[in-house]
Amino acid sequence: MHRQPVSRALSALAFSIAALVSLPAFVAHAADVKEKAAVCAACHGDKGISQTENIPSLAGQPDQFLQWQLVFFRAGSRKNEQMQPIAEEIANEDIRSLGAYFSQLTPPKGPEDKDPDLSKKGKEAASGRRCASCHTDSYAGTKAVARLAGQREEYLVKALHDYKAGQRVGGGVAAMADIAYSLSEEEITALAHYLAHLQ
Amino acid sequence: MKSIFHRSIFAFAAVALLAGTSVVNAQQQQDKNRALKKYESGTKEFWTHPPDDWFLGDETEAQKGLAPPSGPPTGASEAELANIVKKIKLPAGFKIEVWAPGVLAARQMAWGDKGTLFVGSFGLGNVYAIKDNGGKREVKTVLKGLNMPTGLAFKDGALYVIAVDKLIRYDNAEANLDNLGQGKVVYDDMPSYAAHGWKYIATDKDGWFFLPFGPPFNVGIPPTSVSQIRRVDPKTGNAEVWALGVRNSVGGDVDPRSGKYWFTENARDWVSDDLPSDKLNMISKIGEHFGYPYCHQGDLPDPKFAMGHKCSEFTPPVLNLGAHVAPLGMKFYTGDQFPAEYKNNILIAEHGSWNRHKYQGARIVRVIVGPDGKNPKQEVFASGWLEGDQGYLGRPDDIILAKDGSILVADDWAGAIYRISYSKK
Repeated sequence: MHRQPVSRALSALAFSIAALVSLPAFVAHAADVKEKAAVCAACHGDKGISQTENIPSLAGQPDQFLQWQLVFFRAGSRKNEQMQPIAEEIANEDIRSLGAYFSQLTPPKGPEDKDPDLSKKGKEAASGRRCASCHTDSYAGTKAVARLAGQREEYLVKALHDYKAGQRVGGGVAAMADIAYSLSEEEITALAHYLAHLQ
Repeated sequence: MKSIFHRSIFAFAAVALLAGTSVVNAQQQQDKNRALKKYESGTKEFWTHPPDDWFLGDETEAQKGLAPPSGPPTGASEAELANIVKKIKLPAGFKIEVWAPGVLAARQMAWGDKGTLFVGSFGLGNVYAIKDNGGKREVKTVLKGLNMPTGLAFKDGALYVIAVDKLIRYDNAEANLDNLGQGKVVYDDMPSYAAHGWKYIATDKDGWFFLPFGPPFNVGIPPTSVSQIRRVDPKTGNAEVWALGVRNSVGGDVDPRSGKYWFTENARDWVSDDLPSDKLNMISKIGEHFGYPYCHQGDLPDPKFAMGHKCSEFTPPVLNLGAHVAPLGMKFYTGDQFPAEYKNNILIAEHGSWNRHKYQGARIVRVIVGPDGKNPKQEVFASGWLEGDQGYLGRPDDIILAKDGSILVADDWAGAIYRISYSKK
């Protein structure tokens, strides 16, 4: 379990953010969005590309998708012990500017695929489950729907498990819980591998 | 089910060959057919565990791809709202302004005795309290993490919230806005389906609540605990089934003239862009059946679920409001500020379409009708929230009267409360 040191670091971070948020100076300005985004970089990586296990990359995610997740964390309808304290006091203006900022960053490129057979299985599963009909043919996502291409492989596995277990519901009327409900472990492994290695 | 599918594919292939089309084209067409999701919503298995995308699955090829639009996650900014209200059209003498911004996913509103406006929300799970501090409104999230707390009422100092299958009472609410506590569940004899499980509360003169129960799907034979309006006593938890054959109702009000309950109702989907019409209904006596799923809009037997029933067996609507306009919150106008002819008119917030090729609704409609429901007339009262064929600036979903006789309008797309007032000048 790597969880503890990370979460301790995070709660320290959350505390400092909470302090920041309460300051009147923490008002959105285009100029200081970079400064605020630097706080996210501690976990989500430099330029929004995560180097940390189980933490997703944010770079190139659709603006609306990013905003929704912050709104869900703030409302508590998406539960995550690290993100909730951070998002709790975040202002609408900041949610908008952070969404715009990360959506403009260059998305991560998938690493070299060392298991093309698994990717092939993943591609078949993605086609059978009609993933592209919401996530788009390039899996770059659109509007409130997440980018999957190039996301961290183990994070995709985690996200699919969260949906499958009903711990994560997605957007108000999203079909993710329905689709993940019937996914097998094999399919989850293959899907995550395929999507993580898309170039 | 399967055999019908195969048979239709064979039939299609035969037609394609007859027409001289290549088998490749037939194969492509077959794939396209396959991509269309199909549910057998007329079975018990369907409603015991409704899938999360239950609102799809009955659509035709022409309707494929129409899905609920997703609004701006943080609502409209104050600058955007200032532009939106400029675009709203109203009758002469009326004025609209932004009363409170930043009320995300705002749904039903209820006044506290001391002037706090409580506002429910949809998927976000929030309940807000808005205080008017001398012209500047302070929006505070007072409850979080509830299951679709769309409906609210305020009675004897207590805030009541309906969250799908729980009616929760928070005592002495206005004195405890900093911590409303866990509340007390006063009624929970309700199914937990999220699908059409979100509700609305209207209080009658005896202090009982009218609560709607929608079926957990688009159309089918509903479980016996839903597709109805119940009348619930929040004091004792006693309840009676007040009306049957109701699809998705998320708005209603008690007629100040007769004491009867009137309610809006959203009709089934996926027939066509223009059928069937959404409705305004009135319950004349306990136990009336309003037609669902057998008959829609008073005169349209369901192609599959009519099952031999005739429309004449059911209580017809007072008024058909139009297809896919999505009427939600409604109020009788009992104030004194609007012109005298508005007295006891019904104002209905129409949320607007999600699966019509060209959206309609997203406006406030005025219905002029006597207590008997005869000869109703409707006209558009406020409009301008539509943008293009499938776009919204905002989506009105509830109306409440303010003390001065103006009305407040909740908008869950722009995340705001508007005020509409009238002045002779």
